[in-house]
Amino acid sequence: MIKLDRQIITAIRAAKTGPDLYVHLRNAVKLEHSTIPPYLTAMFSLKPGANQAIARQIHSIVVEEMLHMTIASNILIAIGGDPEINTRGFVPDYPGPLPMGIAGGLTVGIEAFSIGLVENVFMKIEEPEDPIPVRPPSLLAAEPEPEYATIGEFYDAIKEQIEKLGPSIFVNKSAPPQVVTGWFPSEKLFPITDPPGACRAIDIVKLEGEGTSSTPFQSPGDPAHYYKFGQIAAGREVIATPTGFAYDGSAVLFDPSGVWPLRPNCKIADFAVGTQARTRIARFAYSYASLLNALHDTFNGQPGRLEAAIGLMYDLRVTAVSLMQTDSGDGSGQTVGPSFEYVNVPTR
Amino acid sequence: MSYLDAPRLHFSGWFQADVSTINNDVRFYQNASFVPEYQQLDQNGSWNPEGTGIFRLLDCSVTGGFLNGRQLASPSDDPVVGMTVQNAADRAPGKLVDLDPQQQMVSQIWGMQVRVTDAANHTLLRGEYRPAAFINLWQRQKQGVRRDQQLAACYQSVLEDVAWPDSSGSGLLQALQAATEGGMLSIEFNVYGYGRDSTIPRYTMGHIAGTIGPYRHGQPKHFVRGRQMIAVAPNFTQPNGGVNNLQARWSDDGLSLTADFGNTFPILDANSPLMNIGRVVLGVMTSDPDSVPATVDNTQVLVIGEVPYLTDGWYTQTAGVQTFDLTNNPVARQLLARCPLVLMSPVEGANGYTVLLQESIHGVYVRADSYVFRIDPGETRQVEFYATRFGAPLADAVVNCSATTGLMGGSGGGDTVSPTPRPTAPIPTIGTPADAIGYASTFTMDGNGYAALAIAASAAGPGMPRGYLAGQLYGIAYQLAAQPAGYVSNPLNYVSILAFSKKDIPDHPTWYADIQQLFTQYGNLYPIMGRYVVNLGDYASVVTRTNILGLAFSLPPGDPNHMPVTRDLGAGDRATILKWLGTKGPDGLPYLGTPSQSPAVTPPAAADALAADSLAKLLPSQGAGKTAVILQLERRRKIAPAADGGEAK
Repeated sequence: MIKLDRQIITAIRAAKTGPDLYVHLRNAVKLEHSTIPPYLTAMFSLKPGANQAIARQIHSIVVEEMLHMTIASNILIAIGGDPEINTRGFVPDYPGPLPMGIAGGLTVGIEAFSIGLVENVFMKIEEPEDPIPVRPPSLLAAEPEPEYATIGEFYDAIKEQIEKLGPSIFVNKSAPPQVVTGWFPSEKLFPITDPPGACRAIDIVKLEGEGTSSTPFQSPGDPAHYYKFGQIAAGREVIATPTGFAYDGSAVLFDPSGVWPLRPNCKIADFAVGTQARTRIARFAYSYASLLNALHDTFNGQPGRLEAAIGLMYDLRVTAVSLMQTDSGDGSGQTVGPSFEYVNVPTR
Repeated sequence: MSYLDAPRLHFSGWFQADVSTINNDVRFYQNASFVPEYQQLDQNGSWNPEGTGIFRLLDCSVTGGFLNGRQLASPSDDPVVGMTVQNAADRAPGKLVDLDPQQQMVSQIWGMQVRVTDAANHTLLRGEYRPAAFINLWQRQKQGVRRDQQLAACYQSVLEDVAWPDSSGSGLLQALQAATEGGMLSIEFNVYGYGRDSTIPRYTMGHIAGTIGPYRHGQPKHFVRGRQMIAVAPNFTQPNGGVNNLQARWSDDGLSLTADFGNTFPILDANSPLMNIGRVVLGVMTSDPDSVPATVDNTQVLVIGEVPYLTDGWYTQTAGVQTFDLTNNPVARQLLARCPLVLMSPVEGANGYTVLLQESIHGVYVRADSYVFRIDPGETRQVEFYATRFGAPLADAVVNCSATTGLMGGSGGGDTVSPTPRPTAPIPTIGTPADAIGYASTFTMDGNGYAALAIAASAAGPGMPRGYLAGQLYGIAYQLAAQPAGYVSNPLNYVSILAFSKKDIPDHPTWYADIQQLFTQYGNLYPIMGRYVVNLGDYASVVTRTNILGLAFSLPPGDPNHMPVTRDLGAGDRATILKWLGTKGPDGLPYLGTPSQSPAVTPPAAADALAADSLAKLLPSQGAGKTAVILQLERRRKIAPAADGGEAK
């Protein structure tokens, strides 16, 4: 049973000032970030020319997680807080739980794409409070409604408390220091200036992740994350039918041979110094840490550093290529997976 | 002042150069004959087709230093010894790029930041590496495993915008900070032992050893205005004396001489220490002869000191930079002002020496500081020259310039291409039309031995003389008008120019008319981009990434994410691409146009028959790129010695 730590909700509701919410919004930033390494790894593990439809779907989810991370950061900045992105504790120790015990009991790792990974991990991460029943392909049986707390409940608590504390907690209403860029549409990323704006932004995060209580789609033709992963797992796109939603649309084909056979949860220390595997995994981690450093600067008053961060995202993509083709050296035939260890690289 | 002065710090470790290799052969620039097989590993000697262009330092640390006349070798000498030397940790790594497929002998590092960091990863020193090309290429490594790059070279440049977040703990860093002028430091490093076999741990990696020291305004940034010792090398990668070029500086107070042996001594294997070639001593001649002697006896030379290159740890701790104390050697101090340096090997049982390396005849030397230029139509660039005599400014010297092919031209590939290109991809002739580039054929140094030569690109540009490849290469050879007979020149001392083709920015650029040819070429040559980020040959793929492409094509060339990574795109083409990306049609996408708009690609105006005849058979152990270029040069010289370039005639 997936549980959100109730104490967190209680603490949010007990917040008396803006600063009392800082820790929770920092956690929100951490949480939104924490899904990116596993999703990104699954996407990178898909070989070029194979499984491109799946890669595109995961890519769209990753991009939205970046938006959510930006939104959470902007709300934090708006009420006077500073996102802390360049710290060891910012990145989960994969495999392990996500921040705040979200999807409690669920161990999230860094693994190659598989249908099982999508079904058993990614869909659990994104599971709405009340998922819309979507029939499996050509079957009528509906999933039973689960009854547990989620990321959505966490955000609802934040919303309620922001509304309760009122407009006076909003002290940094402009961008910069908030980060509002042309990389996202202005209806999704805008300066947070007051409680209604913060709530509207949080609703975007919830909608893109979970959909609404009446439809799996966040916008026409674009399912929310949970259902996007659902259609990858089901092998068919979700569509509306006269008898409800069903994974009975166009095929989402998966070719198991089009995946690099990554060894799960690789760490730098797993590989001997002087091997290709060691050098490459260390460089990947270095680039990832550099990306977090650039993002930290971006969200701490230097929005111009976003370009360097984007450059590092490209660097990660190409660094992953040779990494994922490198034999892990343990005779298993597996190749080296990425490490998202925050190798300690302060920039100053 | 330069890295050959004090204070200075030395570092060593590894570097990675993850260069892409399909662009090593100019014939692969012809889109019409390009096939996907050319993108496979090891096809046609292409040893890293998915290269990213990344250049970065790996596992480098400060290994020594020099302060107040004392060599520093351990953390107890100064806490900076043992600290890490690394690149930026908040942006993408630097890039290593050739000027052109037909000029691979001036590979430049772009967009690299260098930092010294302590054990807690705090930055103590940070600077931006000014783009620079290698020099003094030679076959330093005597044997190797399959595909080893046995050639080695060195890079000299400056760190700019130098910052000192915290130098308080290190006397050496404090002294270096105090000696810093204009936010710049001098940096030099040697690269060797580079692996090109995809199955070995050293693949795309090699050794690096270097030095950081002060830089003074008015000094050259890419060489030391000092004493230049150029090897006699009829085959330029294999100097007769078995040791390679070096530069030295006689201190202003005259009391010391510092020489850089970092790229001078050979190694056996990629990971070997310096090879034992017997005792080596540095001396100064007692006269200023008109020619380079092969041997000298005790009366002709005064020994300055022995080079301790076989001492354990010496190379690591000094990067080969050795200071000789002249305090108690007044004769040497007198001779150094007017006589050449010699590097010598004592002859067993005799009172004489074999000369391995000698300073230029009569000590005269001229060099272009930067020698790699990319130039757009109508642009004028200044090439800075410095002339010296025994390291002192050579005032009023006259320098002659002439066109040369230098070490340019040819294909960079072997005598066969598999699959055979259909249609044939001729190897373009370079340097034509000659009038696309203008410069004075002679100029005179000022009273400080300095001059700037203007290179002007014609407003029309070179056109498309290479047919399937935009732009054209030009070389400028230069030499002192009063160059002594028998003078030994550095064959890498010439100016390389990539003149971009003119491209008028259309009012309504379309994919077919203006973009497809270029993007397809990049997609063919750099599959790391096409396979994993955006398929550049495919309109439908490109239009899904207009924002990120717009950013990458807008970044300045010094940014590590500048696109194209090869920095070989003219301003007109760049502006056209940006305009196309930014102009959306009724469907919200950049204009596609119609296939009928595709410009015809003409064959090269002139195919280089000599280059085609000079193509060498590449053994399976050999890679395309510099190895092939040198094999071709050797054959070219055999077939047509008069066509040899590199020096003004």
